[in-house]
Amino acid sequence: MESVPAHRARRDLAAADAALAEVVTSPPDDLDAPYDLDGLAAAVGATRALLEAVARSGLLLPHHIDAAGIPRYSAADAAAVEAGLTLLDAGLPLDELLELARRTDVAIATVAEAAVEAFLRFVRDPVVGAALDDPATAERLVTAYERMLPATERLVAHHLRRRLVAEAVARIADTADGTAAG
Amino acid sequence: MTLPPLTVTTREVDRGSPLAPRDHVVGAPSCWVSQGEGFIAWGEAVRLPVGTGPGRFERGARALAELDARSTVDDPVGLAGSGLIAIGSFAFDAEQDGSSLIVPRLVHGRRDGHDFVTRIDPEGAAPFPPPSEAAVTEDPPARPRFAGSSRPDHEWLAAVDLAVHRVRRGELDKVVLARDHLLWSERPFDVGATVARLLRRFPTCHTFHVEGLVGSTPELLLARAGGRISSRVLAGTAARGRTEDEDAAIGAGLLASEKDSVEHALAVTSVTEVLAPHCSSLTLDGPRLLRLDNVQHLATDVTGELTDPRRSTLELLAALHPTAAVGGSPRAAALAAIAELEGMDRGRYAGPVGWTDAAGDGEWGIALRCAELTRDRARLFAGAGIVAASVPEEELAETRLKLAAMRGVLGDPDA
Repeated sequence: MESVPAHRARRDLAAADAALAEVVTSPPDDLDAPYDLDGLAAAVGATRALLEAVARSGLLLPHHIDAAGIPRYSAADAAAVEAGLTLLDAGLPLDELLELARRTDVAIATVAEAAVEAFLRFVRDPVVGAALDDPATAERLVTAYERMLPATERLVAHHLRRRLVAEAVARIADTADGTAAG
Repeated sequence: MTLPPLTVTTREVDRGSPLAPRDHVVGAPSCWVSQGEGFIAWGEAVRLPVGTGPGRFERGARALAELDARSTVDDPVGLAGSGLIAIGSFAFDAEQDGSSLIVPRLVHGRRDGHDFVTRIDPEGAAPFPPPSEAAVTEDPPARPRFAGSSRPDHEWLAAVDLAVHRVRRGELDKVVLARDHLLWSERPFDVGATVARLLRRFPTCHTFHVEGLVGSTPELLLARAGGRISSRVLAGTAARGRTEDEDAAIGAGLLASEKDSVEHALAVTSVTEVLAPHCSSLTLDGPRLLRLDNVQHLATDVTGELTDPRRSTLELLAALHPTAAVGGSPRAAALAAIAELEGMDRGRYAGPVGWTDAAGDGEWGIALRCAELTRDRARLFAGAGIVAASVPEEELAETRLKLAAMRGVLGDPDA
């Protein structure tokens, strides 16, 4: 097998990672960020005060900050905020939701870090190491990422759902036992 | 309305067990206890007509003085709280119902290390039975469940945001916005046991119970003993640390915080402005840190000598309430903002609670860190002072911290 010169490998890496960086910062289902905070508040029917508070708490991250320094939000952000509002509408107090969100953020950050590390070590490194032509390496990486992001989301979401349901079943059974006993 | 004349007898008794609720056929006792002194009182000899409106405090004072003039009072003890007294709590809003001033049938008091018992018998009334000798039984409370709020807390947060903008525009200097938190329980809340837990957990606060309103307040709105008055103002709050170092750092931050200093100064001024015209001298000690079980506050003690020693505690309360610690500043603008933005009736929360004697001495706190208990329902309250530098979610977190104290006392394991 022909050995690849060191400078060639570095160039591959740079080109492939540039393509990866492009797709990472602009996922295909989250390309556009049409809203500023007021626009987002209007789109989801929340007060600006509420969204500001959540944003200041670090739990509503903008899609990007535009050239004028204004945080921009996407349709996916709007959908996430609407999900949060659904919980508030159901009666979950905001102070509890914020507390839960902070704990989720801490737990999820650890998982996210490990997942990215796994992607880099077991997907990116082998692809880059295969030293194909620049466009082919980049395309394989981008394709892998585009398939893996929703797959990872689905996996985590599904597991969370199973956990939630199992916990709910156990707690409801406890309550029923408690009522019967009491 | 003519009230029946009373026969009032106070006698010193041997020092008994710690001042704590005991069971009685009439139900849970009223209570006003701080640092092991104060009193526990049972029954109702007379309910004084206080009504509503701005004259409610003076009306109560007048009714008690008239009753005293027609009653036979035998009080060789002569300590604060002996003889003829009335225990009361007042609605925050003068126009709302719920204020009461009650002369009890039986008082067990302790003051300056002396125990006394006062029996108060309306003319022609049947003898009043004694309470049980034993302290109340304290079954572990049933886990209380959330029962909603008068308005969702995210709406309260938006109201705080509006208030911050009004303060920044200069429409007012400070406004206190409160919210409530309702609980239900499978078993009725036990008032006596709740008082007993509060006495243990907050021994340096004034623990009170008047007709279902139960709590422990660190704030002393006004006390009068002869011609001398005192008041402890609290405003500016921070959390307690998990270690001594962290606690000290949070406390130092609180003392250095400009936002909290502004809030505190407004609260102190609102008290001294009212008291100064009635006093020949007024002394301020503070602000300093007051550490409680769950939070730490900025505190200033105000003491003074009354120019006219006949001016009663209730008359002074009429002028003092609501201070900037629970209303805001300027008062009228703050009360208007509360009525518009808070979206609930405070009931007796943030109103005066305490006792008075017929001569006008007494001790009154502000009903903070409290709950209204009605059988299997509890309504808890917490408020936060909003100034220009307030951040809404931090005020929400502060009220959550304040609510946690009563939630814990009522048996919530998550609080």
